[in-house]
Amino acid sequence: MKKILLATALTALTTTTAIADIKVGILHSLSGTMAISETTLKDTMLMLIEQQNAKGGINGEKLVPVVVDPASDWPLFAEKARELLSVEKVDVIFGNWTSVSRKSVLPVIEELNGLLFYPVQYEGEESSKNVFYTGAAPNQQAIPATDYYLEELGVEKFALLGTDYVYPRTTNKILEQYLKDKGIDGNDIFVNYTPFGHSDWSKIVADVVALGADGKKVGVISTINGDANIGFYKELAALGVSADDIPVVAFSVGEEELAGLDTSNLVGHLAAWNYFQSAEGEANAEFIKTWKATMGENRVTNDPMEAHYIGFNMWVNAVTAAGTTDVDAVRTAMYGQKFPNLTGGMAEMLPNHHLAKPVLIGEIQEDGQFDIISQTTEVPGDAWTDFLPESAVLKSDWKDLGCGMYNIETKSCVQVKSNY
Amino acid sequence: MFRIILLALCCLVHTNIASAQGTFQDLVQYHAPNIIKGSVKTAPPVITDIQNFGGPVATDFLLAWQSKELWFRKSDDRLITVTTTDKKTYTLLDLQTGDSIGSATKSEIKQIKPNSGLRGMLGTSLVASQLISDDINTRAASLRSLARDPKPTHLAPLRVAVAKETDPDLLVKMTRLERLLTTQYDTNSYERVKAINSFSNDLGLDVRGRLNPILDTKIQLSKTAPDHGKFAQIITPNADGEFTPTDAYAMIVARGWAEPDITTDEKRQAIINNIENGSVAGIDIKTLDTAQSRDAAYAALAKLGTVPTDVSDADIQAAINTTHFYTTYLETDPAVVAATSETLDSINTRVGISNTIDLFLDGLSLASIFFLAAIGLAITFGVMGVINMAHGEFIMMGAYTGYLVQQIITNYTLSIIIAIPAAFMVTFVAGVLMERLIIRHLYHRPLETLLATFGVSIALQQLAKNIFGTQARPLTSPDWLGGAWQINDVISISWIRVAIFVLSILFFLMLWFTLNKTRLGLETRAVTQNPRMAASMGINPAKINMLTFGLGSGIAGIAGVAIGLFAKVTSELGSDYIVQSFMTVVVGGVGNIWGTLAGAAMIGFLQKGIEWFNPSNTLAAQTFMIVFIIIFIQFRPRGIIALRGRAAGD
Repeated sequence: MKKILLATALTALTTTTAIADIKVGILHSLSGTMAISETTLKDTMLMLIEQQNAKGGINGEKLVPVVVDPASDWPLFAEKARELLSVEKVDVIFGNWTSVSRKSVLPVIEELNGLLFYPVQYEGEESSKNVFYTGAAPNQQAIPATDYYLEELGVEKFALLGTDYVYPRTTNKILEQYLKDKGIDGNDIFVNYTPFGHSDWSKIVADVVALGADGKKVGVISTINGDANIGFYKELAALGVSADDIPVVAFSVGEEELAGLDTSNLVGHLAAWNYFQSAEGEANAEFIKTWKATMGENRVTNDPMEAHYIGFNMWVNAVTAAGTTDVDAVRTAMYGQKFPNLTGGMAEMLPNHHLAKPVLIGEIQEDGQFDIISQTTEVPGDAWTDFLPESAVLKSDWKDLGCGMYNIETKSCVQVKSNY
Repeated sequence: MFRIILLALCCLVHTNIASAQGTFQDLVQYHAPNIIKGSVKTAPPVITDIQNFGGPVATDFLLAWQSKELWFRKSDDRLITVTTTDKKTYTLLDLQTGDSIGSATKSEIKQIKPNSGLRGMLGTSLVASQLISDDINTRAASLRSLARDPKPTHLAPLRVAVAKETDPDLLVKMTRLERLLTTQYDTNSYERVKAINSFSNDLGLDVRGRLNPILDTKIQLSKTAPDHGKFAQIITPNADGEFTPTDAYAMIVARGWAEPDITTDEKRQAIINNIENGSVAGIDIKTLDTAQSRDAAYAALAKLGTVPTDVSDADIQAAINTTHFYTTYLETDPAVVAATSETLDSINTRVGISNTIDLFLDGLSLASIFFLAAIGLAITFGVMGVINMAHGEFIMMGAYTGYLVQQIITNYTLSIIIAIPAAFMVTFVAGVLMERLIIRHLYHRPLETLLATFGVSIALQQLAKNIFGTQARPLTSPDWLGGAWQINDVISISWIRVAIFVLSILFFLMLWFTLNKTRLGLETRAVTQNPRMAASMGINPAKINMLTFGLGSGIAGIAGVAIGLFAKVTSELGSDYIVQSFMTVVVGGVGNIWGTLAGAAMIGFLQKGIEWFNPSNTLAAQTFMIVFIIIFIQFRPRGIIALRGRAAGD
């Protein structure tokens, strides 16, 4: 009882002192292996906060960024999240890139009832009360890209190549089942996993080319992550694999990653995202202009940046509507928030904490940018995939059911905390 | 189905409207929504209509559509082509006349970007006219798109084009494609067999891609044994195989030769439906708690005639036994089938041989990469006995040097020629500095050396991250090293790997010569074997140690340039190779470069061999290899080539 009194007293104290500003925690690695990707997101957040302050903040209060560096060290993410919530007392956190770092932060955020906006495409199969997932779920990236292969390119044989960790393995498991449901024979699906930073691709690429020996059209779905992509694409180019013969669609290669490559031999290969820098529209042109003015002319924009842009603006609108930064009030105000995408159309926050966003498929061009050749209408993000039997019965609805893992067959909430 | 009919009807109706109205613009305007949307599902009727309109305007339109030169005005969806001088205002051109119909800003118009599936479809639709185009590039491009997706109707225009072709290279390709299409689409059996036989020495993927579908089969069944020559293969249902007894019985039932089997669920449902006053066919339902009792109750019901009789397992087996199952070819011409299977047998034997050679080349290439990465270490660790954990970082420094040189000199060939000595110089200096500042004080204290150099390794990595960032930097190989050496469609190896092989051979010879035939080599060996004795003979051990360490590091730098060319240049480049490098040196045998060569060969071939057994998981292959090497080291702790006598030291 004493503790609670003390806590309330403390809270009262901090709210009175913090009345002049709203603290925004930024939890992105500024050193270590993930630094280059995540530093860009920290810069994006600082730019967005500055813009909002120039407009007068929220409800008359200024936004103050609190930047910490979890140094690409997964357990350190949890420590830094705890520091942000209990020492710095931030009102919201924007952060994380890898799934493993998100999993490390989850227990802390849920224990201290924080609010996290996670901006990167991920494998799904998760729904936390305290996290808003502004990146793509598998049905907003992998499934539409596979449909594009099946319907538009007439691919009959699939090579699923991935790096050996949770995101590619989960995604490929979903895709394998999805392809079988679509009538693709198990023998026509070739799966391969390689370690992080793999560089000896000659045999794997040769194996993929040899798949075409029975006259069926072969397509590659790549969940290869990070540096390994460079060796892979170099080997493809060396063997003269044209995108017209064997197309490669990648889920983790964007404008930023292509900057490290000579793209002249990769023209025509594909990537699937919710955003490309080449999207036409005034909002995007404005966003790119501001970004280049802040960061330098040769910098590019990418998908997770757009996710932060939408997430941040939705949060601003939710706080404005709720009139407070209290986590539960803001969370309630988030449901149904709409904000225009940079690629056109409206993103909407769903009760399962995912966004409805359009899916774009782009072809790599000589200049390292993407030519958008397919754009769907808004696809609602699905926390639990419909293509694995054990997940198909699960549903996430925090608004009405108050549960992130609800079994629709037994009509009961499996569990509320996301410590699975 | 209904949709397709509707679509077909739509086509029919609008074709009439379009042709009634007459102009080409009206026709494409009618199809504008589908043209703008651009999907292979909706495109075929549009393309057919445009082709039916005919004339150069239709061909030009399809070409413009394919090459992303078609635009539309957002206000009224009018299809146009455009020209622009400043990328801001665009002059809009009429499709038919090419005259200007006004101008617009970028935001008022939009480019139509068909996807690659649709571009291929458009390419195929243009084949007939483009194959005989005056421009050789158009002909070549059109031949490529035809090879991707040929239709039976293309055989005739292709033969016309073959007769007209003047360019010898293109003629070879055209004739080959004509032969390929003949195997499938010609109506004359003799011609087809002749074409099929002509490919018996051809390893091309396209040949196998065409011939394999000819041998596609389907499963047939009959009451009497099939006549000889009327079937491809007799098959028997096998519970573990692809064709199970369940499948077989389902086929028999589908023919109406037997009654369908009643499943357990259906039986239970039937029993539940027939419960009367707590019993089923006179049997108390309370006793129905085992599978046998339920089967008995169902049999009793069947006897009463309320449900169909269940088929017993024995009946199913009997039905399967009295039926003959066999596969027949979808291809009806037996001569073609015979020729195809003979040709494919001959091709497959060759493919098997080629695959073996290809695997060997892959192993050789991997071995030479390991050798190149490890050869510097063979000197610093193998000869001098210094455990240098920062060896990988010297490789990384070499690669970054290559990248920097390429930033200054844009000619790729020249930049590589300069980068190799530059990388040697940079890492030589770095190696000498490290020897002078750290290692010199730690000779004969391997544990401290290990820790100190590991610290240097981490520091160098972080330094590289701070200077170059963590994103990979491009190190592009010159054009003459791009592409692959295609011996045939199965055996191919990229030129860059051939170059690495040559480079590692050169290094081997150079090092062998230096260590065995030069004064420096003699002094090095003397110093490493007995520094005091060497010193008393007038050799300066400090200087020799410094130079030898510098040489080993410098070679690592050159290896860095080579590795950067085929992989990636990042701060972690070195740590990817350090484990393999030590493994190579240790497995091969410490102390001489022959050992390193043997170690690299063993690890390279072993890894490729294991990958061949387990193609779906490269990581597992590496794990197996390390397990194997641990066992190997147990039996030969001094490596493959162990030094004997005094040279072995200790």
